[in-house]
Amino acid sequence: MNNPISLGLGEMAVTRNPDDVLAAYGLGSCLGICMIDPVTKVTGLLHAVLPETLNISDSENPSNASKFVDRGIESLLAAMTKEGANRNRIIVRIVGGANMLTAPGLTSTFDIGTRNIEKARKTFQRLNIKIAAEEVGGHTGRTVRVYVADSRVTVRVIGEKEHEI
Amino acid sequence: MDTIVEFDQDLMEKLTTIAGEGINNAAIGFSGMVGRKIEVSSPRLELIPLLAIPKIVGGLEDDAVGVYLRFEGDMHGQIMMIIPHHKALELTDMLMSVENGTTQHLGSLERSALGELGNLCTSFFLNSIAKTVGASFRPSPPAVMVDMVGAILDIVVATAGGVNEHVLLVHANFMDGPRCVETDFWIIPDMKALDILLNKKPAE
Repeated sequence: MNNPISLGLGEMAVTRNPDDVLAAYGLGSCLGICMIDPVTKVTGLLHAVLPETLNISDSENPSNASKFVDRGIESLLAAMTKEGANRNRIIVRIVGGANMLTAPGLTSTFDIGTRNIEKARKTFQRLNIKIAAEEVGGHTGRTVRVYVADSRVTVRVIGEKEHEI
Repeated sequence: MDTIVEFDQDLMEKLTTIAGEGINNAAIGFSGMVGRKIEVSSPRLELIPLLAIPKIVGGLEDDAVGVYLRFEGDMHGQIMMIIPHHKALELTDMLMSVENGTTQHLGSLERSALGELGNLCTSFFLNSIAKTVGASFRPSPPAVMVDMVGAILDIVVATAGGVNEHVLLVHANFMDGPRCVETDFWIIPDMKALDILLNKKPAE
């Protein structure tokens, strides 16, 4: 039986319950970062909003960590390790980071999506963890679901059925 | 350093009045575009913490149409108008003066019409605010997107800056006889804009 767990902006979740399905609905420029240890089934999903902190008050608040790609990845990794995941086995998939504004003059100003993707790649490179699959960029929103039971990660875009990545 | 603005009851009442006038003016622009009298309900104004937006909106995977524009000048900010997809189809029928249910798909023509409507409504809305507070600003050309609600709202979130920000939500219903289109205007003013709204005296 599937038990959907919806992650809001700047939230993350870690579970090993095979009934759970972690989901981030309607990702635009936000990034869904999935981490799975296929042996222990410890599974995590992060719904990151911005690449990094923009002001001091944000960075000083530890509860804000999962809102940002860089600190969120580190927090999720720590939470998964604490739950028994082995970081050497972790499989990473990232979804989202679209540029939703395509009008002239607006596109480059707020391309948070691209900056989120770049920050995720750099952070995983620094942590020496490979990204196994990406479905990122473009100009469409996406929903990501992570099925703990069989470690499947699926993506759905508007008007289409979900597909596995 | 940014001006700190407290969203107390006085400010919210002031903003509700300004938004009400803005929405009424938007309805006048809407009426002019379709050539019929479009009524508008009294708008409801809410102050929403940025990260609570998805919980308030719900249905993040639902299809919707967003019309986004920025404004610059004495005040800076952004406005996103969001309409549920099925309502956007009805709205297109209204704009094209065809029977309800005629529009089944939002192609480039339909998107252009909705963009024009969004542009008009938000411009009339902004003009009213400008007149009320005695400020002037210029809106950018509109960007129209058809996507999941969550993905459209991500623009609001990303452009608001810090994760501790608040945004203003104005709910309004535009009515053309028995047809009613629920519309949400998400407004992201910068702190300077709010300071102007607070302190400027209404134009005579």
